Amino acid sequence: MIKLNPKLSQKLSYTVLFMATMLAIIPVLVIIFLIVKNGASSISWEFLTSMPRNGMRAGGILPAIVGTFSIVVCAIIITLPIGVCAAIYLNEYAKDNLLTRIIKLAIVNLAGIPSVVYGLFGLGIFVMFLKLGVSIIAGALTLSIMELPVIITTARGALNSVPQSFKEASLSLGVSRWQTIRYVVLPNALPGILTGAILSIARISGETAPILFTAAVFYVPNLPSSVFDQVMTLPYHLYLVSTQIPNMPMNIIYGTALVLMMMVLTMSFVAIFGRVYFRKHRKW
Amino acid sequence: MVDKIQIKNLSCYYNKKCVLDSLTINVVKNEILSVIGPANSGKTTFLRTLNRMSDLEVSFKRTGDVFLNEENIFYMNMEFLRKRVSMLFAMPIPLPMSIYNNIIYAPKRLGLVNKKPDMDILVEQSLKDASLWNDVKDRLHTSAMKMSGGQQQRLCIARILAINPEVILFDEPCSGLDPISTAKVEESMLELKRKYTILLVTNNVKQASRVSDRTAFFLMGKLIEVDKTEKLFISPKEKQTEDYITGRFG
Amino acid sequence: MRKFLDYIIETVIFICGMLSIIFVVLIFSFLLKEGLSFFKDFSFIKFITNQFWYPNSKVPSFGILPLICGSVLVTLGACLIAVPIGVMSALFISEIAPKGVRDILKSLVELMAAIPSVVIGFVGMVTIVPLVKNIFNLPTGLSAFSGSIMLGFMAVPTIVTISEDAIRSVPWQYKEGALALGATNWQTLRRIVLKAAMPGIIAAIMLGIGRVIGETMAVMMITGNAAHVPHSIFDPVRTMTSTIATEMGETVRGGMHYKSLFAIGLVLFLITFIVNFIADLFLGKNKNL
Repeated sequence: MIKLNPKLSQKLSYTVLFMATMLAIIPVLVIIFLIVKNGASSISWEFLTSMPRNGMRAGGILPAIVGTFSIVVCAIIITLPIGVCAAIYLNEYAKDNLLTRIIKLAIVNLAGIPSVVYGLFGLGIFVMFLKLGVSIIAGALTLSIMELPVIITTARGALNSVPQSFKEASLSLGVSRWQTIRYVVLPNALPGILTGAILSIARISGETAPILFTAAVFYVPNLPSSVFDQVMTLPYHLYLVSTQIPNMPMNIIYGTALVLMMMVLTMSFVAIFGRVYFRKHRKW
Repeated sequence: MVDKIQIKNLSCYYNKKCVLDSLTINVVKNEILSVIGPANSGKTTFLRTLNRMSDLEVSFKRTGDVFLNEENIFYMNMEFLRKRVSMLFAMPIPLPMSIYNNIIYAPKRLGLVNKKPDMDILVEQSLKDASLWNDVKDRLHTSAMKMSGGQQQRLCIARILAINPEVILFDEPCSGLDPISTAKVEESMLELKRKYTILLVTNNVKQASRVSDRTAFFLMGKLIEVDKTEKLFISPKEKQTEDYITGRFG
Repeated sequence: MRKFLDYIIETVIFICGMLSIIFVVLIFSFLLKEGLSFFKDFSFIKFITNQFWYPNSKVPSFGILPLICGSVLVTLGACLIAVPIGVMSALFISEIAPKGVRDILKSLVELMAAIPSVVIGFVGMVTIVPLVKNIFNLPTGLSAFSGSIMLGFMAVPTIVTISEDAIRSVPWQYKEGALALGATNWQTLRRIVLKAAMPGIIAAIMLGIGRVIGETMAVMMITGNAAHVPHSIFDPVRTMTSTIATEMGETVRGGMHYKSLFAIGLVLFLITFIVNFIADLFLGKNKNL
């Protein structure tokens, strides 16, 4: 083997690393470009606000949008308080002992369970055992357990960003631990917790597997009227129209994909910009 | 002379390492007791044990007793103790809220005041006692984070006065301040001792000699000597004390 | 009154803290219960070694060997793509890229993680699948190969994010030491930084693998869903996840087929448990650097 001059080998390696980075970035840009280019033309007020017709091959996707929205809102309402409380426990109360280590391991684990296994669990527990049936609430409960580790992790980060000295100052004045958390820690961690929550909403809006057997159905003629109704959802609808229905007009598929993608990306951007904004305008 | 605080045989440990070794000392009512000593002499740990702030740390262990008005503080409700024995930290720590709310925060949470007029009176009185009222009376509702360091530290004093404690612990309160702000804080300390009992931990030997009635010298977790301030500074009993105050080490 | 309220709230907080454990135990015991009742009627050995998955034939056969092969093949293929790209981009972003573009590059890489997997699956169907079909002249482009490519790109952000953290947490003294001895930047990176960050990088790879094994929608849409033991990477395959997702809708609740899908879920749970546990061990190691 020829021994390369170190300078030259550095240059070569850097080029390779640069190309690898481009390979990591280009696919997502291609995906976004493809969807936007082919989907933009089918987005119209009618597409967003009318029911599907002719076996999904025409009309709009309103019920899927409403369905996704209701499941996600229910899920975040359930999971946010639990996750924030769990984060408070871990950050402010938990001692450094075996129990705490087990909790942390459980969180890591919960985060790693495949989404389809959550679907199975939700089907067994919520749909069948608790007899909630295939419904918004069953899907939301399933998603809320799935999202719990993410909420806990982001909330812990937000709580940690509040300086320890604030807590000490409050405690040194005789204010109790919970009151200190409630009136000093939480208000200052709130922006971080909320941006984390928005990111979570974005993420679960795109989840399909967990709601496959717990909430989503092929077609419903009406919009949901209660949390015990079955619904259509955007990701499941996209799956159906792109694989299950023959002779599907491509522009409807692309349009559905575009709506779903824009929903998720917009929320992610809002969260990221929110985070940057609050970091800049932090009071300390 | 009444003993406000009696410390009996107090030892403290971090991670099983002894940082304070069987300390026995008392603090007299309405005096300023300074604690001096080089770094790692255990003086801050001593102070933080008196209102049990050190209990917050996981690796902290202690033995021995501390009595406040002959009541053992380690059997006392922690919040009640900290309301009675409050603490001023080395760096000024205003809470991220308005000046007004900084003062009223603890009294409100402790249920000391409920009505708006009472609050206004309390805020004004506390700020006056900390000689800050004239500086800030026109901007009570602006953020406390925007004040100068010296003002922030006096705000923290005002915040403590608002809960009307019995003992105030000063943990190197001037280490981050300029000479003029330091003088102001020292001035208010002398003012405060009429009403409160004060413990002052300081790295600044001169500050101890300026303000305190009695001075204690700590070294490596042990109390070497405690005496009237003039006596300790003019004719210390121990060689180590003399070496430290004359600046031979530390 | 105030004390009492504090007490109630602190109890609620404690319970919420415990919930994660409760959920993991609940999920595991639930899968175990359904799985065990399945293994009473169909032996576990046969379940993982039999190569025929015919859940609906007259004499049903529940061999998940083809599904395991499918999952492993797709995961291996995805790793071959994701690991080199992921680790190299992490190196580039954390050590070589100019400071100003560093955050932009990182956010762009992480953008991929924000795209729903069903969208990625759809794009894979209309781009990679026909491409693979034409280039390799196959009867169908729906194959393990196409799946590997898409899943590889999906695993890249996980690997980049966690490796980048690991690389950045290498103490700068290490680098300075090597540079002071006259090593070039690249030599320092390769010999010192990469070595010191290795536990974190391994954890990143494990988590990436976990993500690929658990991925469902994209896999279901691209890999062709044929439940037989594949002979090459260009064969259509079916993974464990996509089997659960496609077949759960058609089963009789409580029947053998239904229970067999929970048994697959149990196997998946155990695999991801181990993978995440290993990743956590390595992450812990990295912190004590």
